[in-house]
Amino acid sequence: FHLNLSLSLSLSLSLSLIPKSTAMATSIARFSRRALTPNPIRRFFATSAALATNTEAPKPKLTVSPSPDRAKWDYRGQRQIIPLGQWLPKVAVDAYVAPNVVLAGQVTVWDGSSVWNGAVLRGDLNKITLGFCANVQERCVVHAAWSSPTGLPAETLIDRYVTVGAYSLLRSCTIEPECIIGQHSILMEGSLVETRSILEAGSVVPPGRRIPSGELWGGNPARFIRTLTNEETLEIPKLAVAINHLSGDYFSEFLPYSTVYLEVEKFKKSLGIAV
Amino acid sequence: MGTLGRVIYTVGNWIRGSGQALDRVGSLLQGSHRLEEHLSRHRTLMSVFDKSPLVDKDVFVAPSASVIGDVQIGKGSSIWYGCVLRGSRFSVFLMRRCEIAGTHCNFCAGDVNNISVGSGTNIQDNSLVHVAKTNLAGKVLPTTIGDNVTVGHSAVIHGCTVEDEAFVGMGATLLDGVVVEKHAMVAAGSLVRENTRIPSGEVWGGNPAKFMRKLTDEEIAYISKSAENYINLAHIHAAENSKSFEEIEIERALRKKYARKDEDYDSMLGIVRETPAELILPDNVLPEKTTTRVPTTHY
Repeated sequence: FHLNLSLSLSLSLSLSLIPKSTAMATSIARFSRRALTPNPIRRFFATSAALATNTEAPKPKLTVSPSPDRAKWDYRGQRQIIPLGQWLPKVAVDAYVAPNVVLAGQVTVWDGSSVWNGAVLRGDLNKITLGFCANVQERCVVHAAWSSPTGLPAETLIDRYVTVGAYSLLRSCTIEPECIIGQHSILMEGSLVETRSILEAGSVVPPGRRIPSGELWGGNPARFIRTLTNEETLEIPKLAVAINHLSGDYFSEFLPYSTVYLEVEKFKKSLGIAV
Repeated sequence: MGTLGRVIYTVGNWIRGSGQALDRVGSLLQGSHRLEEHLSRHRTLMSVFDKSPLVDKDVFVAPSASVIGDVQIGKGSSIWYGCVLRGSRFSVFLMRRCEIAGTHCNFCAGDVNNISVGSGTNIQDNSLVHVAKTNLAGKVLPTTIGDNVTVGHSAVIHGCTVEDEAFVGMGATLLDGVVVEKHAMVAAGSLVRENTRIPSGEVWGGNPAKFMRKLTDEEIAYISKSAENYINLAHIHAAENSKSFEEIEIERALRKKYARKDEDYDSMLGIVRETPAELILPDNVLPEKTTTRVPTTHY
């Protein structure tokens, strides 16, 4: 009996390694399963599983015609700066923009600011400006809508000394100087965060909302929590400057020109492509 | 002049070679801390074993996005920067293995785990679309996103069904088994709990997601309009991202040359300059301006 078990085990395992005919595989599976589950409870589960494999959820009809030329892998990776038409994203010489970041369209990153890993600044419909010493932290998405519900220009303006926390989503908002936007916050179209205010982490600011100056707001939707003390207000630009110093460290990690082109040449030569 | 050109070229080669040698000396000095740069190994369309993504030829998939496994994307859709669409690769083989090992798994169904994205849909930047593989309820759920759906930035869609012309706001998190019906809207930043059904024509939001209000007719029309706008935008981004190195360099030179020229000043002098063809965006990119041609200086 044990020999039979081990034989069926090895048979099914070897057959499973070659998934050519699933019909034969499923029949072998059912055979081996029945042989290997002496336990009546396990047998119940096995039969229910067998039943589940036979019923298929009706898939919606989707006609997809793939192109054989689609590049599945581009050795260049994703370009950091993507010009669209005449718009070319401008990055200041001492601004740190991580290599993961995508700047597309009308984006201007002014001096001393930093855009951290994984952020996407997509200024394809409207302008995005990142002021002096501002920082957009990891995985943020900054987008500008075409028009804002307030009727004011729908560009996204992040003024000087603003810290935008990680994973936030900014869309057509105006952030006046010296603010802190908490992590994972969502600022919708037309919102205005006035100077020296702090948004708590996870706050969702509805479209057109104005966060008055010097106050702490938070929640979903963002509600007033308390006013900020003078000491806290003085800390805000210090945080931005601290992140600026940090970005200087990261900036100096990168060489102005990389030597990847040597690898590209070797790669192309190995494939026989003219360099 | 041929030999002079060749001499200059050779001198240039010598300078480049000595520069590379200097770079190697510098790397030696840096020792183990030196930065080693390699080609990007990021795979935009990645197949897991035998499940490969089936992506229509009209679809814009951003190079930094990842479309992995059993994913089907219909025509005109767009997957924006930084998205991850991860369809699992469960097959009958894996299920058998689990039972032979004597453990009981929750993965009852075989090939139901896929992601299917309809046509004209846009999955915006940094969002995640996953299938629900393991569940507290023990169900495995495929993710189906219909036609003309707008999925906002950084949304997380996990084993849901989103029907045609729905709108998932940015930052929304849709947990397992959620069904967003046609013309429904999930507000930004909401967390939609498991197995919620969002009825047609309503806005649900908050954490946990509750009914907020009903959608007006013009908002419903706006949803389909926004999907259409994104289709046009996607064409431009697709064209830009697929440019070769030579094209990029040519356009860079053109842009530098054209940047000095101001249209107002030229018109005062009586000169009419033509924007180079490569630098003109197609007219239908920006919404509402599909009929009139906007002068480029007024962006």
